[in-house]
Parts: sequence; structure tokens; C-alpha cells
Amino acid sequence: METSNPSPMVNAEQMKRFVGRKVRSVLRFLKFEAGVLTGQSADNQQVVVRQVQIASPISQFVEVIGVVEGERTLRAEICTNFGDNFDLSPYNQLCQMANAEYQALFV
Amino acid sequence: MYSGQGYGDGGSLFGGGGFMPSQSTTAAADSPFSSRKSGSQSSGLLPLTVKQISGATQKPSDDNFYVDGQDVNHVTLVGMVFNREERATDISFLVDDGTGRIEVKRWIDGQDTNESMEMNSVQNGVYVRVHGHLRSFQGKRNVVAFSVRLITDFNEVTFHFLECIYVHVSNLKSQRGVNPSHVPQSTNTFGGPGIHTLPPTLGSMAQNSSYNQYMPSTTMAGSGLPVDECQKRVHAIFEEPASLGIEIGLHVDDVARRMVGYTKKQVKDAIDFLVNEGFIYSTIDDDHFKSTNA
Repeated sequence: METSNPSPMVNAEQMKRFVGRKVRSVLRFLKFEAGVLTGQSADNQQVVVRQVQIASPISQFVEVIGVVEGERTLRAEICTNFGDNFDLSPYNQLCQMANAEYQALFV
Repeated sequence: MYSGQGYGDGGSLFGGGGFMPSQSTTAAADSPFSSRKSGSQSSGLLPLTVKQISGATQKPSDDNFYVDGQDVNHVTLVGMVFNREERATDISFLVDDGTGRIEVKRWIDGQDTNESMEMNSVQNGVYVRVHGHLRSFQGKRNVVAFSVRLITDFNEVTFHFLECIYVHVSNLKSQRGVNPSHVPQSTNTFGGPGIHTLPPTLGSMAQNSSYNQYMPSTTMAGSGLPVDECQKRVHAIFEEPASLGIEIGLHVDDVARRMVGYTKKQVKDAIDFLVNEGFIYSTIDDDHFKSTNA
């Protein structure tokens, strides 16, 4: 087992703390054009994801694991369909807990 | 809950039985039991992140793992499958939950068995929930799975990590001697008492995870103590010295007769509650009960 290469769960706000590093984030799908996916984050901001390869049909919610290139921009490594029934509100709260008070459990 | 009660019973059995000749031995044997009582409740199944598993401590004296002071035996993980490898007798893969990666091995009895069918759908890149046994093999920690299931409702991913936090907090508090059932009220971020205030999607998962000994009992909103007047009075009857002295305990009807103003149904429900919470147990048949303090 190894824990040297984590990809913490983040919302859009938290991405800027991880520029150049790998994260994961669930987005509400908005559009997909020429390998670029635009989605809405759990904290209601638009996030642009480059180099997306994903099985179609793309579901309403998508998890992106990728590297933060800049504020609200990701370069995708893995995109996973998260179905059409995903509650972003608890996910957002989880992101907040996992990057603050309970960070020791995650990274 | 189960083992905690088990240890408690064990302690009282030895205390009252004829196996321990000397009083001092009994006392010595009792203390570790009673101190474990609050802490040992998690030898069941622990939801953990890979990071928590990597941080688990091992005592040189035994092979057990410890997380938050609890010994870890069976674990449940949620993560993505990588490096799946199929061999004649097993299928092994890595589970990546974002906090780290751990090796999981599933023994396969043969083709066309249930395990083999279940594992066919488990391919690289899918999310799974794993139930398994944590062990150390050649210095590396891995999980021997007895169940690997595809995640179909992805709220389960959120739920799993929230549950890891919940159980972590619960165990920390119980280590400090605080009643763990009160923990969620102070720490939960959903603004209400415990996991019952989760959004409906997650709330139903909390209900479904009946394995989880940390979930507040639905009847008592997590207190674990008889707060209902009927339950309190029924409990008091069982705790009377006269009741403790009767070997076969009390018949339901005897209790019901003394509970003026309550129906037999109410008394029976109270008894069921007390049995479930480990305050009393059934003796010679389903109608006789006795306090576990006897």
C-alpha cells in the first residue's frame, strides 16, 4: 500500500490550494466540446476540464481526477460517470471537512 | 456492541462463577474487561480510508492493528479499482480511495462460482465497496475481501467518507470516556442530531448499513439508555435485588402486572429494547428475562 500520491476531494474554491497537484472533484455536467468539459462544482462555480476522455453517454454528474492547472481549470486523468442522482450538497460539506478539521484521515 | 456485551458477560460470569478461586484474581480479571467495555465495541467492522489503514499501529506483542485505539479486524473501503490481476486461485487489485492505494485479494474457489461472477464485473476503473479482513503479509498491509460490490449509487462514496469521519470522532470520544452516542450532536455539520439529519439519499444508506454499531439506535435517537418512562420502569423492575436473585429471571406477565397503566404490548416493546441494548437477556424461554448485571 502507498499513500504518497493522494488526490484529495475538493470543491472549486479549494482547487487553488492544490495548483500543480492531483485532486478529485465531482461536477454537474454542463457541456462537452472537443475534449473540454465544463461543469458546475459542488460550491456552484464553473470548472473547465481539459483532455477529457469519458465513456458516453455522459451522466449528469461526473467525477474528474486530474491536476489543477489554475483557478477552476483541471487537466483530466480519469473521468468517471457518477450517475444522474448525486447530491452535491453533502459532497461539498465533505470536501470542507476533509480539507480542514478531519484532514488527517485523508491526506 | 456485540463483543462489548460479550466481554461484559464474560466478566460477570467469571465474577460469579466458581472458576476463579481468589478474590484478587477476579478483580484483576474484571478490570481489563470493564475498561474494554466502552472501547471494544468496534471489533466488528470499521469503515476506514486507506490513509487511516496506513497509519494504523501494531503492537509488537500481537498482530492486531489499532486505529483510534480500537482494534481493527474487518474493514470496509470504497474506492476505484486498478491493476486487476486474475490468477487461478484469486483475483487481486488495488483500491484507490483518493487517500492512498491498498492491495485487495479475493480468493476464488473456481469458475462459475458466485465470487467469480461477482468479480467479473469488477474491472479497472470502476468504483467498488470492499468488505474484508485487514492483515499484514510480508510486511505489507492488504485486505482479503469477502465481498466486492460495484457502486451503483455514487452517493455511497460521499456516505463512506462521512461515515469514516463519524466513526473516527465517535471512537476518539469513547476513548476519552465520553458517551460516544453524544458525539455527533456536537460535531455534525448538518446542524442536527447525528446521521439522521443527512440528506435523504445518504440517510437511507445510514439506515441500510445495519452492520454499523456506531449508528444511533432509531428508537432512542442514539442515547442507548432507557429514557422512555416505560423502559425506565421496566428496567428498574429487573434491577431490583429480588429480581436479580431469581435464577430464571422474571416472566413477561409478572412485569406487565406490575406496570399499572401500561399495556402488555408497551411492556414487551420495552423489554425488546432492553434486550437489544444489552440490559437484560432471555433465560429459559422467550418469556423470561433477567438483568445482565445479575
